[in-house]
Amino acid sequence: MSQSLRPYLQCVRSSLTAALSLSNFASQASERHNVPEIEAASSPEVILNPLTVSRNENERVYIEPSINSVRISIKIKQADEIEHILVHKFTRFLTQRAESFYILRRKPVKGYDITFLITNFHTEEMLKHKLVDFIIQFMEEVDKEISEMKLFLNARARFVAESFLTPFD
Amino acid sequence: MLLLDYQNVLIESLLRERVNGGATANIDQVVSDFDGVTFHISTPESKTKILVSLHIKCYKELVQYGAQSVLEREYGPYIVDPESGYDFSVLVDLEHLPEDQEGKDDLVRRISLLKRNAMAAPFEQAFDEFHQLEEEASKYTSESAPQGVTEGGNVRAIHYREEEAIYIKANYDRVTVIFSTVFREETDRIFGKVFLQEFVDARRRAIQNAPQVLFRNEAPLELQGIPGVDTSGSADIGYITFVLFPRHLTKQRREEVISHIQTFRDYFHYHIKASKAFIHSRMRKRTADFLQVLRRARPEAEEKERKTASGRTFRVQA
Repeated sequence: MSQSLRPYLQCVRSSLTAALSLSNFASQASERHNVPEIEAASSPEVILNPLTVSRNENERVYIEPSINSVRISIKIKQADEIEHILVHKFTRFLTQRAESFYILRRKPVKGYDITFLITNFHTEEMLKHKLVDFIIQFMEEVDKEISEMKLFLNARARFVAESFLTPFD
Repeated sequence: MLLLDYQNVLIESLLRERVNGGATANIDQVVSDFDGVTFHISTPESKTKILVSLHIKCYKELVQYGAQSVLEREYGPYIVDPESGYDFSVLVDLEHLPEDQEGKDDLVRRISLLKRNAMAAPFEQAFDEFHQLEEEASKYTSESAPQGVTEGGNVRAIHYREEEAIYIKANYDRVTVIFSTVFREETDRIFGKVFLQEFVDARRRAIQNAPQVLFRNEAPLELQGIPGVDTSGSADIGYITFVLFPRHLTKQRREEVISHIQTFRDYFHYHIKASKAFIHSRMRKRTADFLQVLRRARPEAEEKERKTASGRTFRVQA
């Protein structure tokens, strides 16, 4: 792990752990409703201050806490248009499977590539520190995966080009 | 399976079986090939007479560039009047085959290369023109050569697909083959760019004798003023130029070179699709891994031993 990645992830980890103190909170507006307040945004008193953790201008995490839900948005590094398309494909692939990911939001927050939405029901059902582990591991691996796919693409392109041109030699 | 075959495998296996004494039966089959080419294999008269017809979108253009003579050279006595709806037909009579095995194999090979041979005509014409120009140019020094010699011949355009074409131009020192290709979507365009960059670099790195490859989005200078060339410079269209040098154009190598360069467009797009498929399956696997990690967050329901009132336990029979 590189020098700047470790404190970045450490910072995200502690901010997330702090933000994930959620409690059940029924809707103030309509009876028998219980919605994630960060999405409904019906009352400013239950929404806390959002927080951005950035590693550099291309990689950052945006944490939006509220009384019963937290939204975590991740901006994944995209150095060139190949990485851009790979990130786009990968995040789309994940969000299409949001159903089985429980905490994945179907649509990322504007300006970010992927968003998670954790509600108090998730923290009640699942272990909080493991959820944080998941987010951190996701951040670590997604970068690795993107750069591996890019390397693969380049290697394949090179091999393909050489084998096409060899018969001319 | 890295390189594509030049022949049509289905036609080849079908004919080989029949020619080598397999059971004869009625055939009526439409076979598709790359670039929207279709073949029709049928036995209209009797089971022993196999008619193979070819439909190719740019047949008119190919005839203009001498396809007729190339096909006559290759298929001579087998040519019959084209079936309606098709451009070219050959008829093989299983009762009048060449005597020896070698002749039979050669016949099967020739017929399975029908598409290749039809498309080869403009290439052959351009290669011949190159040899002429080379001879003419050798009479002059580079300064004193008259206009016509240094400029090279006309551009031969083959519009072999809806929006894509091959352009061939002969010069006194080279033959230029330009493929125009359309990228259907953003991912294809970017993957294509990565692949083409490697084609351009391969010559510098490993294979010094390969033809020079150039890639750009605007139409190259050779194609200025050719009707039907998109000059808008849109990023969806790419122009790939192969510069074939005299060493590729010798008599011994030309057949191989023509076959090989024809497969470029399909080879290139095939590998773009293959990479996309690989990346897709890779993402699928990675997603499964992530799910595994997330599942760990869910505490396992502990299996408690259940007892009846009398103290007996349930046990699953092994």
